[in-house]
Amino acid sequence: MTEKELVEIVGRENVLDNPEILNEYAGDYRFTPPKTPVCIVQPANIIELKGIIKWANEKSVPLVPVSSGAPHFRGDTVPAVEGAVIVDLRRMNKIIRIDPSNRVAIVEPGVTFGELQTELAGSGMSAYLPLSPRSSKSVLASVLEREPVTMPGIHFDSTDPMLCAEIVFGTGDSMRTGEAAGPDTLEEQWEIGKAQMSPFGPTQMDPQRLVSGAQGTIGILTWMSIKVRHLSAQSRAFLIPCDILESLIELSYKLTRIRFTGNIFILNGLNLACLLKHTPEEIRDSGKKLPPWVMFVSCEGYGLLPEEKVQYLEADLKDLAESYGVKVETAAGDIEADEVADLLTVPSPDPYWKQRLKGGFSELFFLTTQGKTVEFTKIMDEIAGQLGYPAGHTGVYIQPVAQGTSCHCEFDFYYDPASQEVAEKTREIIAEAADKMEAMGAFFSRPYSEWVDVAYRRSQDTAHMQKKVKGVFDPNSILNPGQLCFR
Amino acid sequence: MSWEDYEHDMQRCTRCSYCKYIPWRNIKNFDFYEGCPSAARYHWHAFAAGGKFNLGYSLLKGKIEIDDTFLDVLYKCNMDGSCDIACKVNQDIEPLQHMQELRIKCVEEGQLHPVHMLVIEGLRKQDNMMMADKADRGKWAEGLDVKDLSREKGEVLFHAGCRYSFDQELWPVARAGLSILRKAGVDLGIMAADESCCGGRAYELGYAGELTKYCEHQIEVWRNSDIKTVVTPCADCYACFSVLYDKIGKKPAIEVMHITQYLDKLIREGKLRLKNSLPMKVTYHDPCHLGRLAEPWVHWNGREYKPDGTLLWVHDPPKKYRRGTFGIYDPPRNVLKSIPGLDFVEMFRIREYGWCCGAGGGVIDAFPDFAIWTGSQRLREAKEVGAEAIVSACPWCKRVFMDAAAETGDNIKVLDILELIEQSL
Amino acid sequence: MALTNKEYKALEDIVGQEYITREPVIMESYNQVWGNKLAFGDKRHNPPAAVLLPGTVEEIQEIVRYCNKAGILFKPSARAFEYVATKLSCDRGILLELKRFNRILEIDEKNQHAVVEPFVTVCQLQNEAGRLGFYTGKPGVGYSASIISLACCHQEMTISQLYTSGYGRNVLGAEWVLPTGDILNLGTGGREGGWFSGDGPGFSLRGILRGRAGANGGNGVITKCSVKLYPWYSDSPMDQKMKRESGEALSATRLAAVPDNYRAVVLTFPTTEQMMKAATEIGQSEIACIVAPSYLVTSVGQEGNDEQWAAMQNAPPQDPTKVGRSVPVFVNGHSARELAYREKAVMSVMEKWEGNLDPEYNDPEVLAQMFQYQMWSTGVGGLRGTGDFMVSIQGADGSTDMHLNYRPVEFDAFKPFSERGGIVQPSMGMSYRPMEHFALGSSGGIGTGYDPWDENSLAAAREYMNMVYDSNSPFRRFSYSNRGAMMQVEEIEHVHERWGPIYDNADLWLQKVRNMLDPNRVADWSGYIPPEYDKK
Repeated sequence: MTEKELVEIVGRENVLDNPEILNEYAGDYRFTPPKTPVCIVQPANIIELKGIIKWANEKSVPLVPVSSGAPHFRGDTVPAVEGAVIVDLRRMNKIIRIDPSNRVAIVEPGVTFGELQTELAGSGMSAYLPLSPRSSKSVLASVLEREPVTMPGIHFDSTDPMLCAEIVFGTGDSMRTGEAAGPDTLEEQWEIGKAQMSPFGPTQMDPQRLVSGAQGTIGILTWMSIKVRHLSAQSRAFLIPCDILESLIELSYKLTRIRFTGNIFILNGLNLACLLKHTPEEIRDSGKKLPPWVMFVSCEGYGLLPEEKVQYLEADLKDLAESYGVKVETAAGDIEADEVADLLTVPSPDPYWKQRLKGGFSELFFLTTQGKTVEFTKIMDEIAGQLGYPAGHTGVYIQPVAQGTSCHCEFDFYYDPASQEVAEKTREIIAEAADKMEAMGAFFSRPYSEWVDVAYRRSQDTAHMQKKVKGVFDPNSILNPGQLCFR
Repeated sequence: MSWEDYEHDMQRCTRCSYCKYIPWRNIKNFDFYEGCPSAARYHWHAFAAGGKFNLGYSLLKGKIEIDDTFLDVLYKCNMDGSCDIACKVNQDIEPLQHMQELRIKCVEEGQLHPVHMLVIEGLRKQDNMMMADKADRGKWAEGLDVKDLSREKGEVLFHAGCRYSFDQELWPVARAGLSILRKAGVDLGIMAADESCCGGRAYELGYAGELTKYCEHQIEVWRNSDIKTVVTPCADCYACFSVLYDKIGKKPAIEVMHITQYLDKLIREGKLRLKNSLPMKVTYHDPCHLGRLAEPWVHWNGREYKPDGTLLWVHDPPKKYRRGTFGIYDPPRNVLKSIPGLDFVEMFRIREYGWCCGAGGGVIDAFPDFAIWTGSQRLREAKEVGAEAIVSACPWCKRVFMDAAAETGDNIKVLDILELIEQSL
Repeated sequence: MALTNKEYKALEDIVGQEYITREPVIMESYNQVWGNKLAFGDKRHNPPAAVLLPGTVEEIQEIVRYCNKAGILFKPSARAFEYVATKLSCDRGILLELKRFNRILEIDEKNQHAVVEPFVTVCQLQNEAGRLGFYTGKPGVGYSASIISLACCHQEMTISQLYTSGYGRNVLGAEWVLPTGDILNLGTGGREGGWFSGDGPGFSLRGILRGRAGANGGNGVITKCSVKLYPWYSDSPMDQKMKRESGEALSATRLAAVPDNYRAVVLTFPTTEQMMKAATEIGQSEIACIVAPSYLVTSVGQEGNDEQWAAMQNAPPQDPTKVGRSVPVFVNGHSARELAYREKAVMSVMEKWEGNLDPEYNDPEVLAQMFQYQMWSTGVGGLRGTGDFMVSIQGADGSTDMHLNYRPVEFDAFKPFSERGGIVQPSMGMSYRPMEHFALGSSGGIGTGYDPWDENSLAAAREYMNMVYDSNSPFRRFSYSNRGAMMQVEEIEHVHERWGPIYDNADLWLQKVRNMLDPNRVADWSGYIPPEYDKK
C-alpha cells in the first residue's frame, strides 16, 4: 500500500523495495542493530518531496532522509524506528549554480565533493572541505552535519560554510532562508544580482540553524548555497612534527588568534599514515617513521599578490613555530607535506582512508577548547590501557574551528568488523571515553547514537526546547524519529 | 527662559543616557565612569538629567503633577553640571538650565523642600547659608589685623564666603589664603561682618529672587567702594559672582578672581616664591563651581530655525553653547605643579568631566547621606590613583571630603591648595 | 490600575522594596525615547505599570513566573536607547531594567571570548578587552549599546563586520530566561568547561533566539552571553594618545594618529562601480579590517549645529559624487611583514581600478579621526540635528551587484521626497557594510534625517516609511529581513503581516515559534511579532 501511494508521487522506478537494497539502507557501521525500512523513495524535486512528506503526515510514516551514498557510519541516516521509509535524495544532484565573483555555489543534496570540486575547478575555485571526506559523501549533508573544515581562519560560525537553503519542514511546507527568501524564483533573483549569500532570517529567527546539526529531524533540504573560495595561485605546505602535543597546540592557538589563512590541523602519526597510505602494511610502516604528533599548515596564496602573500606567511610561520620550540618541515617520516596538501581539495580516494587499516572504524568526536585536547588525549590513552584496547589502533584528529575559539577533537578507532571481540571492545572504549570526557567538559554538539545520552546529560533544557521546536516544524514527528533527543 | 521654553529640548532628549556618565571617549577606568552622582546613587532613570527632561515634558503635557516623588527626584541633585557637559558632547540642548528652571518653578509655586526652607529662612534673616549668626561673620579673621573694607579703602576685596566664614574647622584655610596674599604684597581687605552671601547656592535651590537680591546688594557695595578686584577662596562664590550675576544681567564691573587664579598670577610674576619641598603624592579635585560651572555666561537672544534644505536646528544669531571648555582648570594645576617636591597625579574624572564632591544643589543640607556618599566615591578614586592627599580649591568640597573620610575611616589627607601653599612658603 | 496592589506587593516581595517602583513620576522617565514621535505620534508612549531592578537570575525567573500566573506583560531592558526597549504593548506591563547585571564575568584570552552580563556596553568591552589584545566590533548605535542587546536581542550591524561579523554570529553561548521562567543554556553556556559553543547538542537553538534581528526583549531575558573576540594589535582605545587643543570642546577629543600596526587610507575612484569592484576585491582578499564603501564619517564633527552650519556655508565647493566613489580601507598586521604585504595589496587594487588617494580624505589627521570613528564605539552623531533620525529601514543584504542594482531603486524611491523636502538622506550613496570578507555580501543602509516636531517633515517621514514597508513597493523583491531593521512596531506598521505571505509565510512560522516560547503571552511583543494579528 505504501509503495503504491509513493509510486504515484515519484514514479515506479523511484520506489525501491528489493530486500537486498533494503538491507543496505537498514544499518551502518554503528553498533546499533539495524532496522529494515519499508522502502526507499527517491524524489527528483521539491514537488515530489512535498508530496512524500504530506503523505507521511497523513499516514504517520517515519521518514529518514539520506543524501550520501554508502557506507554510512554515524547512525543518523538509518532508521531508528520500525516502519520507516528512506527518502534518498540522490536523484536531486544538480549543481544549481557556481558564482565565482561572489564565491558561492548552490548544490542539491545528491552532489558529492568529487562532483562539486570538478565543477568548481573549472572556475578556479574550491569548496571548503572537511578532512578527506569519503567519495560518496554529500556536500550538503557534510555541511549540514557541521563537519569541521580544515581552514579555521575563515570559519566564522558553526554553520559555515552554509549560507541559504530551501527547506521542506515536517509539515510539508517549504521555506527559503536568508537572502534566498522572497517572491522571486532563484533565476529572477539572479537577474537583480542576488546571490543567495546573506544567511540571516527571514527576520527574527534563523531557520537554517534549526536544520544544521538536526540530522534531518526538522526539515529536509532541497538545495543549499555555500561559501566557496578561489583556489590558490600559489601555496606552500608544511608539516610540523612534535613529540609533545602541547607545543603544537600553543602554535595552533597563536595561528588561529592571528587568523592565519590556510589549512591548519593536527593528526597523530597513525592518522597521518592512514590518510596518506593505502594498505595496512604501508600504514604500519609509515606510522613507525612518524613522530607522535604532526601539525599540517598551508600558506595559501589566493587573492592579491599571491607570491608575496605566501612568502610572508611562510616567513611568519617559521618565526612563530620557532618561538614555540617547533620546526617547520616539508616532510615528516616518509610523508611529504605536498602530498597532504594534494588531498585537501579532493575527496578521499577509495577505499575511504579510515577503512584502510582494518576495514572498520568507529569515531568519537566532540567540541572542546584547543588546550584541553592535551588532557583528552592523555585520558584516552589511560582508558585504552585500562580496557586493554589494542595499542596503535586509535587515530587522533584535532581541528580548530570557529577561528580557534573551539576545537573539534576526534578519536578514530580502527578495528576489524569481523572480530566480535574487538568490535565489542571498541564499543566499550567509546562508551567509557564519552562518559569520562563529557564529565571533563567535552561538548558532544553532534550527538550520534553511541553518545546521544551522554551528549544530552547536561543539556536537558536543550532537549526539552528542541522537542518544542520539533512540535512546531514537525508536529506529527515523522522526520527521522529516534534521532537526537527525539526518543 | 522659563521651564516651558525648554520644550524643544525636552522633545529632543533622545534617552541616550550619556548624561549619567562622563563623556565616553574620556573614560580611562570603568570603575570610575559614572559622571552623575544622582544617577549613580539612585536607581531610576528619572534621577538623570534625561529623566528630568522626561518629567518636564510630562508636566508640560499635564500627565503628571509635582508631588513628593517629583521633588525628591528634582532635589536629589547636586546641580553640578556633569550631565550638561556629557550631553553636549553630542547634543545642543540644555539639561542643567532646564533643571534650574524646574527648581525655580517649584519654589515659585511653593513646592519647597522643608530643609531648604530652613536654610533660606536663615539666609533671609542672617545673610548666610549656614544658619549662623550674621554678627559672627568675620570672626574667622580675628587677630589677622586685616583691613575692614566696610570702613576703610582698598582695591582688593577678599571675600571668604559663607562656608569659610562659619565653619570653624575650615578657618585655618581661609586665614592661610589671606596671609599668603598679604605675604605676596597684595593690599587687601575683607568685609568682615558686613560680608553677605553671594546668593549662588540659594539660586541653585530655586530661589531666584535671593540671587537678585544679593547680587544687587553686592554690586551696590562694590560700586560704592574703591574695590577693583574681588578674590575669593570659595569656588561657589567665584562662579556666582562671575557667571550667575552676569546671567541675570548684572555682570560686575570689577574683576572677579578665584584665589587660585590670583596665586597663579603671583607665581608667574615672581611675587610668590614656593621654597619648601613637600614630598607628597597628591591629586587635584576640580570643584564644579571653579571648573565647568565657572565657564563665562554666554548671553544669547534670538530665534532658532532650520535653514532651508537642512535638518539642522540653528540659531539666529548663532548661539555658543557652554560646554565647560572655558572653566578654570589650569591655574590650580599650575599652582600645584609649582610646589617643589609635589608628585601630582590626575584622577580619571577631571576638568570638564570631574566628579562632584556632593555638596552642591542643596544636597549637603537636605540629603547629607547622599553628599557623604558622593564625597566618599571621590576619595575612593583619589586612592585608586595612589594619591596620599586629595586637594581641592573650595570649602564645600573640603567639608564634604572631610566628613566622608571620617565616616568611611579613610586615612587619605583632605587638603585645600592654600594649605599646601602655606606649607611651601 | 494597571497592577493591583496585591500584584505589586508580590513583585515587591521578589526584588525588595528598594528595587521596584510604580510612582507615576518615575514611570514617565521610561516612555520617552527618540523615534517615539514617528512611531507613536508623541514623545511619550504608554508608561510601564512598574519598573523593577532585579539583582539575580533567580529573581528574574520568579518575576517571569509570576507574570505568567498573573497575566502581566514583561520586557527586559538594558541601556534602553531605543523605543523598542521601553515600549510595552499594553498598560499592564512591567519593565525589568537590568542595570544591576553589569559585570564582565570573564575574558578568556586563550579561547578568545568574553562572557558578559546585559548592562555591559560595547565601549567597556572594547576598552577592557583592548588591554588584552582583543577587539569587539563597532556598532552604529553608539557607546552605550549593550553587548547582549546587540548580539542576542536587537540588530548588531557593525562597521567592522567585514572581519568581526555581526547579527548574532559571534554568540558562543548564552543563559536565557525563557518567557515561562525556565532557564535555557545555549550550548555550553554555564558550564565549567567554558562558554565556547552556543550550538547544540544537535541543532542550534540560536535559530529561535534571533535572526537578522532579535526579538527586542520579546522572547525572554538573556542574562549572560559569551561573545567571540577578535585580534587587536594596539593599545586599548582608552590608552591611546588623544589630543585636544586649548579652547576646543570635549567633542574635539580625537585620536592623535592611526595606531601602529594599522594603516588607513581612503581610496577614491572615477565611478561608484569601480569603487565597489575595488572594495569587493580588497574585502574578498581577507586582508582588511574595514572596507566601508561611501562611509567617510569621522569622529570629530563640528562642536554644535551652529558651528556645523557655518562650516557648511564656508565649505569650498564639493564634488557631490566624491563620497559615493570613495572607500575607507584599514588594514592591520600581527607582524611587520603582514602589514607591509597588506598595504601593498591594497595599493595594487587601487591602481588596478584607477583610483587615487585624494588629499582631502587622506590627511593623517582626518584618517586618524576616521579610524577612531569606524573602529571604536562612538556617539550617535546623526541625532543632533533635530533630535531624531530614521535608522535605516529599507536596506537589503547581499552581493555587490545586488547593491548596485538596488541603488537606483533606492534613489528613485526617494526622489519625490527629496524634491518635496522635509526629509533628507545625507549620504550620497548607501553605505555598505560588507560581512565576513564579503562572503556574506554586504548589508546596506542609509540613514534618513527628519524632524519629528515639524509637521511637514513628520508627514513626509511617515509617508516614506509606509512606502518602504509596503510589500508592493519597488523594494518588494529585495528584502523582508531588513524592513524596519526590526525597529517597527507590528501593531502600527504591520510589516510581518504585509511581507510574510510573499516570503514563504515566514511570519506565521515566527508567530508559532513565539507562541511556543511564550504560551501565556506575557513576553512583550512590541518589537517582535504579536501572538496573533489584529483581526480588525
